Amino acid sequence: MNEDKIRGLSELIIKAGNKCADEVEIFLAGGSGVVTQLKGDLIGEAGGSESFGIGIRLIKDGKIGSSTTGNPERWQECLAAAEASAKLATGQKWEGLPSPVPLSDIDLDIFDSSLKPDISAASSLIEEMKEGASEFDVNIAGGGSSFGTGYSVIVNSEGVFYSREKSRVSVSLEAISGTSTGYEFDSACFNDRIDAKETGKQAAFLAAHSVDAEEIESGQYDVIFSPIAFSQILGSVLLPSFSGRNVHSNRSFLAGKMGEQVFDECLCIYDDPTDGQGSTLLDAEGVPTRRIDFVEEGVLKSFAYDLKTAYRYGEESTGSAKRGGAGGLPSIGMHNLHVDGKRSNVFDEKALYVQDVVGAHTANAITGDFSLELSNTSWMESGEYGSAVRSAMVSGNFFEMMKDIAGLSESSREIGSSKIPSVRFNGIQIIGK
Amino acid sequence: MEEPRYYDIRHTAGTSTHIDIDNGVVESAGTSFFDTAILRVLGSHGWGIVTIDNYSAKSRKEKDEYISQALRHAMVTVEDVALGDARSGILPMPAMKEDPASVPLEEKCSLLSGIESQARKVDGIVSTRAGYSEGSGTVSFENSSGAEFSYAICRSGYSISAVAGRNGVMQAARESEHTISGLNLRHKEDMGAKAAERAVALLDASPAKGGKMNAVLDQQLAGVFAHEAIGHASEGDLVKEGISVIKGMIGECIGSPNLTVVDDPTLHEFGFMPVDSEGVLPVRSEIIKEGVLSAYLHNRQTLAVVGDGDAGHARGQAGEVPLVRMSNTFIESGDSSYDEIISECRNGILLKGSRGGQVDPGRGVFQFNAEYGYVIENGELSKMVRDVSLSGDILKTMHNIALCGNDKKMTPGYCGKGGQSVPVTDGSPHILLKDAVVGGCGE
Repeated sequence: MNEDKIRGLSELIIKAGNKCADEVEIFLAGGSGVVTQLKGDLIGEAGGSESFGIGIRLIKDGKIGSSTTGNPERWQECLAAAEASAKLATGQKWEGLPSPVPLSDIDLDIFDSSLKPDISAASSLIEEMKEGASEFDVNIAGGGSSFGTGYSVIVNSEGVFYSREKSRVSVSLEAISGTSTGYEFDSACFNDRIDAKETGKQAAFLAAHSVDAEEIESGQYDVIFSPIAFSQILGSVLLPSFSGRNVHSNRSFLAGKMGEQVFDECLCIYDDPTDGQGSTLLDAEGVPTRRIDFVEEGVLKSFAYDLKTAYRYGEESTGSAKRGGAGGLPSIGMHNLHVDGKRSNVFDEKALYVQDVVGAHTANAITGDFSLELSNTSWMESGEYGSAVRSAMVSGNFFEMMKDIAGLSESSREIGSSKIPSVRFNGIQIIGK
Repeated sequence: MEEPRYYDIRHTAGTSTHIDIDNGVVESAGTSFFDTAILRVLGSHGWGIVTIDNYSAKSRKEKDEYISQALRHAMVTVEDVALGDARSGILPMPAMKEDPASVPLEEKCSLLSGIESQARKVDGIVSTRAGYSEGSGTVSFENSSGAEFSYAICRSGYSISAVAGRNGVMQAARESEHTISGLNLRHKEDMGAKAAERAVALLDASPAKGGKMNAVLDQQLAGVFAHEAIGHASEGDLVKEGISVIKGMIGECIGSPNLTVVDDPTLHEFGFMPVDSEGVLPVRSEIIKEGVLSAYLHNRQTLAVVGDGDAGHARGQAGEVPLVRMSNTFIESGDSSYDEIISECRNGILLKGSRGGQVDPGRGVFQFNAEYGYVIENGELSKMVRDVSLSGDILKTMHNIALCGNDKKMTPGYCGKGGQSVPVTDGSPHILLKDAVVGGCGE
């Protein structure tokens, strides 16, 4: 849908919505993409998709109603459902949707105008990955590539109209040798920022390296979590505890700890809304985004708020509203998560290097306790891979562990919209076989 | 332009309703609309696919254009896809006791609120949250062979979670129920209290001590084991692509002789489907019979390549490509009583409830987390423990099932694969696992 049509449609909805509510907000998102899927080492599926959706929110007397639809012709039905929804919600203190503010003209660096969702370009990425994987004696079990471009628009009855275009290219490959598996992936907003060959090579290396894996005895070991493994546990356990909603609903371990030294002083955690693949100037409710320093040198400095939670608890929105797509309601999230701090060479001294974990979503987000199966784990010393570990579990309490970090690696890896280093912990409990 | 060798279109349209009550506050409650289709075309080699939003509004001419578009996509495929023969057909939908769509949202909101407020009444509870979701719509299928099916289905359910807190220590517990048999929100206040009381009890539980030990799995967790460890490895696409540890093992004894594992999409449980996503009549598949691997789960394509099993297990989320999926997966009841199982365990652990699991079927390794458990000493239950997980090697673990109980129970939920989530039910009786690898951070 082009901008004129979007403006026309949103004017209609706002005009009608103003008759039954105090304020109206419309979120539109659309896009198109192509995807190829490897079945074994051959492309077995290739497809295209076009998507569109509208989400309408109405606010009346502090009661927020919402509905979504994929059909622009049926906006009236959607508006009526939003009105019915507003009647059911509990009313709360509400100080209004945001008004327009002047926006910086910074380049968000998330839209590659040369990137066209093209199926043959997607299949060449597959060839590049396969070429990378061919350096090791493994079989390719699956994988895929995709190109997509999309836009999102936030419009409200206070005059905000903000649209943002984004492009994305992604690849993934799964390799296997015997019963040893390896998986790698990459994504970027720009076509020339992805290295499909390297992704393929890494997946194949991981599968090949774990073939002669050895058992490990239970005990305490020094462990380095790769950016992938660390981000998985972080996402399941720590990130929910920064949400203002969880904090005020007594579901966050960090509630009541503002200003305290909660983690190791080498650690900084922040959301930089203009540095990464999730960059945006306004959040999903039209509030200007800003850098949020959650943890500075281990000290808890901030929580994340959307408008609703902020108004309810007398806080200020941190511009942290996110939507999964047009079909989703806004919820508190991260635009570009950065884990940073004092860097060191964590790979020098011998440790177990954990590439991936199985079952991170089963960790206990309220208490921080976890016990997870390790995947593609190897001994590492002086930056060199040593022998691989067949299977083992790692267990501990994530919040306790974060109080004593042995080091953050010198470089970080971009995982989607996050930038994360490898993180070393000494004396972690491993349960062997 | 070449003609497609085959095509099918699956169109899903309807409404989704949700209610979110957080600490007594109705955060949001409302209805949204969806209308999406997935079109698959077989070109000279593999599949070309197009996803179409607002399919209801499309003309016949537009549909023909989508077929051509999908054929163009298919041109980059190189895998030679053939489809196995399978009987197409549709089962009757079971009747609903009370159609959730006919109950006003306001009433559902007040029923859910009743469950949530029971949880908040329990001493020691610091946070409660209840959710209700309902998807009601029509699924229509047609293919180039002339098969045409349509059915209406409503899936609904609720969840209640409670957090207990004392002196800075917090513990959470959750209950949920999902169904296809109609509104399940009435007279469920006890479920709120049940979640809350368990959260409070967990405050006094100690962290489990990890290590190798005998473990008794309750029906819910053993159901997750059936699903994660066995079910996924039996999916024909994984077998075909070489990433299942049980590939090429049909007819072999891969588990204890008292182990029978079934996937049955025809049961009127939450994973029921009257017709699969390729228009095939669903069938019961006995994956493992008395320890012997007897069938894989298939779609038409994997049936043609791999054989040994049944098509009729293709499932796709609305607007998504169908994958080989489980539906209602369970371990059959054996003849041991619960008391015998606990007694036979002697010293070990009873694991109860599930916070989910994950499997790497290629490596043959699974991991899942129990919600809580009890230490078993001298054949009797002793202290309660929390944060306990189980991991292991699929093949080794299946041989280590020493006893199967006579008390099978089914638990509904959702299963994720390839970015798609579909409704499933897992089930099992209590089972005794010898030499299980239990994870926990207790001393």
